[in-house]
Amino acid sequence: MNSKNPGSSLLFRAFYSFLWLLFFLSIGFIVAYYPNPPKWEWRGVFHINSLTLIIWATVTFFSAVVSTFASRYLVGFRYYNRFIVLSLGFTFSVSLLVFANHLLLLLLAWLGMGFFMSRLIGIDSRWGEAREAARYCQRHFSVGSLFLATGIALLSFSAHEHTLTGLIAHIDELSFPVLLASALCIIVAAAIQSAMFPFHRWLLSAMTSPTPASALMHAGFVNGAGILLTLLAPLFFKSNTMTLLIIVGGITAIVAQFAKLIQVNIKQKLGCSTTAQMAFMIMQCGLGFFNAAVVHLILHGFYKAYLFLSSGEEIKHISPIKPRRKELRKRQAVLVFGLGILGAFFFAWITGKGLSADGGIFLTLIVAITIGQAMDNVIKQQHLSLVKRVVVAPVVFFVSVGLYALLYNGSTFFMNDLPMIDHPEPLSVLQIVFGVVF
Amino acid sequence: MTKQELQHKIDQAARVIGKTWPLYSFVTSNPLSGFEDMAFFKAIEQAGNLWGAQVLPNANVFRQAWEEGRIDALEVQKLLQEKGKKESPESSLMLLASHPMVECLNEHHELDRLTVKWLALFMDEGMAAWPMPFKEMGFYTAWRKLIVYDEDIKKHLDQPIPKLPEEALSQALERYAPEDHHKIIERHLVALPGWTGYIKYRVENNSLWNQEYPIDLLEYMAVRLWMAQSLDAPILPALLPKENHEVLELKYIWLEAWENTWQNRFFERLKGEQQPKQSEVKNRPDAQLVFCLDSRSEVLRRQLEKRGNYETFGSAGSFGILMDYCNPESGLINKASPAMIPSKYIVHEEPADNFRQEAQEYQEEERRLGAYKYFLKRMKNILPSAFGFVEGSGFYYAFFMLMRTFRPTKVNRFMLEHKMSLERSHEAHISPIDHEEEAYQEISLPEQVLLVKGAFDSCGWRTFAPLVVFTGHASHSANNPYASSLDCGACAGNPGKRNARALAKLANSVEVRAVLQKEHGIRIPQDTIFIAAEHITSTDEVQLFDVGVPESHRQILHRLKADLRAVKETMTQERLDEPRDSVGIAKNKANNWAEARPEWGLSGHAGYIIGPRSLSKSGIYNDCFLSSYDWTLDKEGSILKGIMQGPLLVCQWISNHYYFSTVDNNVFGGGSKITLNITGKHGVVQGNGSDLKMGLPLQSLMATDDKVYHYPLRLSTLIQAPRTYVDRIIKEDEKLRSLLNNGWIHLFIMDPEEENRIARYRF
Repeated sequence: MNSKNPGSSLLFRAFYSFLWLLFFLSIGFIVAYYPNPPKWEWRGVFHINSLTLIIWATVTFFSAVVSTFASRYLVGFRYYNRFIVLSLGFTFSVSLLVFANHLLLLLLAWLGMGFFMSRLIGIDSRWGEAREAARYCQRHFSVGSLFLATGIALLSFSAHEHTLTGLIAHIDELSFPVLLASALCIIVAAAIQSAMFPFHRWLLSAMTSPTPASALMHAGFVNGAGILLTLLAPLFFKSNTMTLLIIVGGITAIVAQFAKLIQVNIKQKLGCSTTAQMAFMIMQCGLGFFNAAVVHLILHGFYKAYLFLSSGEEIKHISPIKPRRKELRKRQAVLVFGLGILGAFFFAWITGKGLSADGGIFLTLIVAITIGQAMDNVIKQQHLSLVKRVVVAPVVFFVSVGLYALLYNGSTFFMNDLPMIDHPEPLSVLQIVFGVVF
Repeated sequence: MTKQELQHKIDQAARVIGKTWPLYSFVTSNPLSGFEDMAFFKAIEQAGNLWGAQVLPNANVFRQAWEEGRIDALEVQKLLQEKGKKESPESSLMLLASHPMVECLNEHHELDRLTVKWLALFMDEGMAAWPMPFKEMGFYTAWRKLIVYDEDIKKHLDQPIPKLPEEALSQALERYAPEDHHKIIERHLVALPGWTGYIKYRVENNSLWNQEYPIDLLEYMAVRLWMAQSLDAPILPALLPKENHEVLELKYIWLEAWENTWQNRFFERLKGEQQPKQSEVKNRPDAQLVFCLDSRSEVLRRQLEKRGNYETFGSAGSFGILMDYCNPESGLINKASPAMIPSKYIVHEEPADNFRQEAQEYQEEERRLGAYKYFLKRMKNILPSAFGFVEGSGFYYAFFMLMRTFRPTKVNRFMLEHKMSLERSHEAHISPIDHEEEAYQEISLPEQVLLVKGAFDSCGWRTFAPLVVFTGHASHSANNPYASSLDCGACAGNPGKRNARALAKLANSVEVRAVLQKEHGIRIPQDTIFIAAEHITSTDEVQLFDVGVPESHRQILHRLKADLRAVKETMTQERLDEPRDSVGIAKNKANNWAEARPEWGLSGHAGYIIGPRSLSKSGIYNDCFLSSYDWTLDKEGSILKGIMQGPLLVCQWISNHYYFSTVDNNVFGGGSKITLNITGKHGVVQGNGSDLKMGLPLQSLMATDDKVYHYPLRLSTLIQAPRTYVDRIIKEDEKLRSLLNNGWIHLFIMDPEEENRIARYRF
């Protein structure tokens, strides 16, 4: 190695090239099959459907980006090669989760995700705090796996099915108590994985992992809950636990977003943000939009991976004296309000959602408020030209909504093979309550 | 006990901790500066025991140096014999390796964790969107009002907490004998030396944040001891077991043998030079360039001199202007000269007369960037937009992530950074620091003259070329919390270009030149133009601030630029050991967000030469700081005094900072960048929270986790001057005398009155 300019090893470069190859293969498959999802099944052990391909593409993308970053960032690290093994193990575990049809394999994948992630948290085994954090997280993941195993076993033994597809097909025949008990178990497993209140502590104590591993954790690992819920979507309808998902998600989303505001170090700040975003994802599931949850986990992954990888940029000398917030003028307020409404209609129009009185209206509301608040923050910036504020900004916002809709529509269309993933719940009091609180 | 008594006890004890500087203005200071009045070995043995730190290189480092042939076997043998040791070099090295560091459990972990939590909350400088309540009432009061809600400790708080910190501290201490108080305070200060060092910084430098939200060591002690009491943690904690004295002695022998070897080879190198006495520049040089004495300038000077008729000088990168700088973007004021010397001036930017239009455009750009940044921050924080924002912006983040990973050098134009150059349209103005009026006052003409004269004097100037360039330096790196540690050390971790610009402006002034000639006999030719420049040390690019250079100088300027471009190529090749595309590689390293080692900073330095360029001109001295000094122009030794009291002290700090950060990176340094976590916008901690890191990260000093890149040696200084000069200075200066006699630096004199023989200096 050139000690004046130490660079990444050949092995590491081969590793991330391999991941990029897998990513392009997954994308290639999606393009080749689009818009009809593949229906491949092998002896009740493996299967490939639309979700398999989408998640493969997602997880290989994040692993590839993070590994490309890590190959350089971790140069000289004593456990350089161990990082390769662990991230490969993690990537394959997630891939297996959506590839498995046999329920035992599914459980194995879930266990593997936790195993490899906790090893990444404690990768620096000479460091006592890292070892402690790894143990703490592993305990959480083991308990989560146990809950999942219990939930799945209940279903499997009652239905006498050992494959996921078989289980889903016969879910109607199961008794309500069994459904409820297993749904609760699986929700607990999901809540642990995505660090929902009150299981959020592991995520906030996992900062001993190298920064790239954190990026992988916050863009990959925590998403496990969204995938799991989507795989078993019909179970939650049948067991009437959708409302529970909204409550778990809704409360956590609000608490975590406020907790984020008082964090004084960047990684814990991002950690709270992840918990809030995952809570929102679970809420989307509860509203019946499992497809929106899948899209959210992908987009949030982009956002959070970027912020973790760039978390070294937070040093800045700022003044303790805060500038005063500006008030909105009347004409500006009209514009802000109008644009929000317009954005909502635009969103509803291109996604075909959210104007009927069901859970979708909640999502549309979020779009309206986001655009409104974004416009509110732009319009007051007198240092930007009027054209930028009144023309360019709205155009950017609408393009963003358009991009989102593109992914949303594209994946919804593709995921037509999955049962009940786009099945809005009727509007309930609870939803209105959260809508108002938000 | 009264507040004064307590304060006195704390001040007494606080010398065992150093100052932790904020990372936005990183100062490489000696973490053990409080021990500088003790002999080096004794000091480090004591400090090491108190801090629980390693203070000498470990066996692996010696092994590495030994195998690389950097330690002379004869030197080791000689020292072993002198100290009456029987071992051979090889067997003593084995002996060292058989005493590895043992991991010890921190017995007051819970107390440390809680203290860190409250300190981090209070000392936050803008990370949290909602700051801690009651902050304006000071640390102790804010803590007292909020601690009752802390789940971790509230059930242990069985006594009412006194209103004032001195009451709480007295209560905690009164059960102990007065002679124990010093020990108690010392040990609790040193339990978290990074955080307490930062309190020290905030108080002593009267930082803006401390003016708004005051904290001091007394409040810290009160909070710490009160919590210790409540948690039943020891008030007088035991120290960790001492490192074996024999082992330390043996290590010290190895360190000295290593230093002796380096010095012997250094003197060999210098002897190889013995050329014409004085580099009497035969012709007038085309251009003269003054660089920072920084060891990174040496390569540039050496290669540039080879390319043309250039003369180069080394000076402190602050160019003798003891100033603070008012940042035009934030309006915040930072130290921009050696951290241990109080500033006299403040420099601020104003639009240059002929560039009002550009200046206005620059300021508009600034406000625009501010607006975008504010927008992004708001959108991430507010409910429920945070959720919508993530979905709407996800694709943009994906795009930037790919760009920064695969096209790091192309991404700058999308970042929220200035595209226009401040230097094009603005001028640096120097004002007295203690001005009373609101508006800045220009300093008086005599003062201006003194500043300019000081700069010439300290370099040993004889003739003036048509073009004189004062070159400051700074570093560019991406995603790097330690970016300012790569900037100019003489400017307290800031770019040196501001000082250079301020000086060039003064030197161009007709009035200043008139006085210089009339009163000091320094005649600057009419055709001499002074400009400033900046050397970017991570890319080796040199940018000349050449606005306003007249047509007559275009040709020289043009050639200089061409030569600098050529030098950039050869220099990056040498620096990175990359024969091909070295410029591209350097540029990539400076911009890549995944690069943990954008450049090596001052790693690898070991020596300091104070003397004329001719001493070092034909050799390679990239391990040395170089100060230009010509004793024949310094009749009374006053110039040498200036160098020894300024730059030499700075270099001592730098060198000992690098030394201690290398020998125990976890305690004195920053730990590995891989797991760092930025806290409060001003510093880093490791993992979930730890002591505030006070020094350079592992990646700045080590090639890998196990292999050092910087060799931890004390600074070896060589001065070419008559011994009597140095005697006079040392006699008067107690600080220098103490550093020298206690072995914190090595000093050698090359005495021109004794045929340039080199001898170790002892007073």
